[in-house]
Amino acid sequence: MNKLTALFLLFLFTCKACYCETLPYNFYDTFCIPITLSITEEISTKDNIYEGQSVQFKVRKNVRHNGQSILKSGDVINAKIETIVTSGMNGFPAEIIIDDFQIPGICNSQLISTYNKKGQNRCLWVYPLKWSLTLIPFAGSLTNLIKGGHAKIRPKDIVTIYYYPNWKEDKDLCIEDIKNENGTSLSE
Amino acid sequence: MKKIISLLLLLLLISPAYAGLAEMNAIQQRIDSIGTRILNFNKIPKRIIFTYSEETKAEWLGKYHELKSRQIIVYDELYQFTQTDDEIAAMLSREIATVLKSYSGMWGGSIDAIQVALSSKKFETVADKRAVDYMVKAGYNPLALIVFINKTYPQKRQDVIARHNLTSKRLARIYEYITYKYPEYLQDTEYINNQYYQNFLLNSLENRRKLEEKIKMHSTGEVHYE
Repeated sequence: MNKLTALFLLFLFTCKACYCETLPYNFYDTFCIPITLSITEEISTKDNIYEGQSVQFKVRKNVRHNGQSILKSGDVINAKIETIVTSGMNGFPAEIIIDDFQIPGICNSQLISTYNKKGQNRCLWVYPLKWSLTLIPFAGSLTNLIKGGHAKIRPKDIVTIYYYPNWKEDKDLCIEDIKNENGTSLSE
Repeated sequence: MKKIISLLLLLLLISPAYAGLAEMNAIQQRIDSIGTRILNFNKIPKRIIFTYSEETKAEWLGKYHELKSRQIIVYDELYQFTQTDDEIAAMLSREIATVLKSYSGMWGGSIDAIQVALSSKKFETVADKRAVDYMVKAGYNPLALIVFINKTYPQKRQDVIARHNLTSKRLARIYEYITYKYPEYLQDTEYINNQYYQNFLLNSLENRRKLEEKIKMHSTGEVHYE
């Protein structure tokens, strides 16, 4: 009976140590392939853009891995506007954050792809001006009227995202390979 | 007999101290686990640490640990409002969004950090929105952010001359963000039966009506919440 109790206790102590959770990611591998893109149509915080809006990017250079073509120059991929920061008082710049790039045949879990673009940051001269104007009563508050620059992403801007082919694939985050009309996949 | 009594007394003296330490260790472990999960699932390649503190947050001195040393301090006064992992994730996600701001921009992020500190009202909204994204990617329910803020932050009279937004405005903006980007969470039965979430639904009737109007009109403009 004692042996049984001892065995049970041993099991209780060791079972937690044996239990090994498998993480859905493994960032061990450092090899990455940069994918350079440019937006197809200019977007700006000045225009009517909204969070969650789909935007399209064009691949600038062919992307190959292990002798296979992943993306061809001119291919169009979708992404989403994640967050929009509007410009604020005292020269606070606007900002656009883009993510959720949908590349056929590539899992989102294998991409480091957050891209952000800011407008002109006028705080650098607005704050010194504000502090120097505080000598005159209420004059410092006038700089509140100066707003920061709008954020724009132009077709000439180069957006680089990174593809880590050896990172784990999270099947839920994979974009199925899109087939062309003639049956060949877009990534072939 | 004396030996036994002295041993018992010693045990009585040590055990509360040990229990307190063990409790703190358990909280720290929970915070570390949730915080690291958010960082990893969002593939945030920056160093951020999470520290639990029983102290009260200083009002001015040493206030911006997250911007200065990229250290998120979870104060007991905030931690006590969290009941679920989702709510802790909500609290940490907001702070992660703030810390990340201090990593970007000129002079090692110093300029951006100052901007965040000075334009706290503006950045408060940004941090709330980013927190929703981080939570969703890490597998947490973003409605927990609404629940957490609804329970934690008081409602001031106005925010015109203030460094923070009205809590009701913050909540309405988060709700709007979730409505547009992650509408599937609004039907979550877990939160439909959550009394704190229901309380938010009750106290945000007017603001939600404004949002419904915006959706109906297909407008992309900013709603002026109360």
